[in-house]
Amino acid sequence: MTRQKVKMAFIENESSRKATYKKRKRGILKKANELATLCGVPVGVIIDSPYDLTPEVWPSREDMDNVLSQLQRLPVMDRTKKMLNQESYLKQSISKASETCKKLTKENKELEMKEVMFDCLSGKTSPSRIEKNDLGGCGNVIEQYLRNLNRRIEILSKNDGASSSSVHVVASTSVAMPIVELGSSSTAFCDMIRQQQIQSNMNQNVGGLDLNQQQW
Amino acid sequence: MVIKNKGRQKIEMVKMKNENNLQVTFSKRRSGLFKKASELCTLCGAEIVVIVFSPGRKVFSFGHPNVDVVIDRFLKINPHHPHQNNNLQLNEACLNAVVQDLNNHLTQVTEQLEEEKKRNEDLKQKRKDDKKSENWWEDPIEGFNLRQLTEFKCGLENFKKTVTTEASKYLQATGHNFYFGSSSNATFGIFDNDGNTNSESDLFNHRRLVDMNTFSGNHQNMIIPHPSTTPYGNNVIERFAPEHNQNQSQYCFKQERASECDRQPDHPPHYRHEYC
Repeated sequence: MTRQKVKMAFIENESSRKATYKKRKRGILKKANELATLCGVPVGVIIDSPYDLTPEVWPSREDMDNVLSQLQRLPVMDRTKKMLNQESYLKQSISKASETCKKLTKENKELEMKEVMFDCLSGKTSPSRIEKNDLGGCGNVIEQYLRNLNRRIEILSKNDGASSSSVHVVASTSVAMPIVELGSSSTAFCDMIRQQQIQSNMNQNVGGLDLNQQQW
Repeated sequence: MVIKNKGRQKIEMVKMKNENNLQVTFSKRRSGLFKKASELCTLCGAEIVVIVFSPGRKVFSFGHPNVDVVIDRFLKINPHHPHQNNNLQLNEACLNAVVQDLNNHLTQVTEQLEEEKKRNEDLKQKRKDDKKSENWWEDPIEGFNLRQLTEFKCGLENFKKTVTTEASKYLQATGHNFYFGSSSNATFGIFDNDGNTNSESDLFNHRRLVDMNTFSGNHQNMIIPHPSTTPYGNNVIERFAPEHNQNQSQYCFKQERASECDRQPDHPPHYRHEYC
């Protein structure tokens, strides 16, 4: 449903404003009715404008009087705790939206860094090509991963290592995990890992389980 | 047609049966109702009051210009529109300006939020699409056996060394000192350690300059520069940023928020204090 986005500002055009007022007033009353019915709660609305001779009251004057007397019966504290006007309402909305946005930005950064990390590990790129500003974020993702890995290692080591491996067997991956090259020392390490893998592949009982089936 | 949520289905206009759903519905719909009310006021300049009681008998209300004024008028305590007073008109104009400002800000933040949401979806979709890759370590680690876990761990630690090396190479190249701190969220000013008078102003420009995420093993506390290491100490910071009105430790934290805000080029400066 593509519509023109409405700018949240006072509508200068008189007839446009009047038309909008009529439509939106109807809409608000409808929503108020739905809220009251679906949730079985007292709701009262008063809308007043230069376009109405008398203020619009919903559900009715008597019901509104009821709502107001219920309101008066409450102690001041309870009455005003959740009382808002435009200013306070907008401020509240802004801070909520900002919070959510901040969290999302953080999550997005982490997801992005994860991709960078995977790209490095699979040789698509290398640490020297990582954006300098991202090095820290990348580091954090690595740390997080290492923490989780250690935790999993601990768990699996506590349980019998043999029995768990029979469930999570990797269908023959001949792709050894490439180690990011950093001089001869890591190449040797790389080779060592590859050797280990070939060795264990030979020793292991390949159960033919697909990688995808591992996920539980 | 796959129905993603109840919003695309017709619902009966009767009181909801499920207590939990009722509470959730109440929260969402009340929030939506207030939003509509706020929009009506902004767009059409109407006066409104909405009073809602929750299932738990708590009361929520929204009113423009404010709840009490509109109620009073309804109860005929104060008769219609006292617009005689010039002062009142001035106040009203002021209020409208503030509200308009807030509306603009909200629009901006909402747009940003939408962008981040879209980016989030895209990133997650990309990961889904890439799942068919042959790299077993890209799968969730819950599926790894002990051998894979240790192997991956070795690989990662090696990778970490490379990254650390790159980071320190960069630090050396740029010749700045870093104050290492907590998580990736923290941003740090790059303080020029020359100690000459230029860096007085640099202290506060650098805050905005580079948003460096450096990582360290210390995830607990932000290491705050010890007063003796900054050439000027606490007093200078207060002198140069009187409007911030905070002590040094807060300054370091505020740095993060200030620079995050300043990242937005069209972000009106005065919002920084209240909303960031």
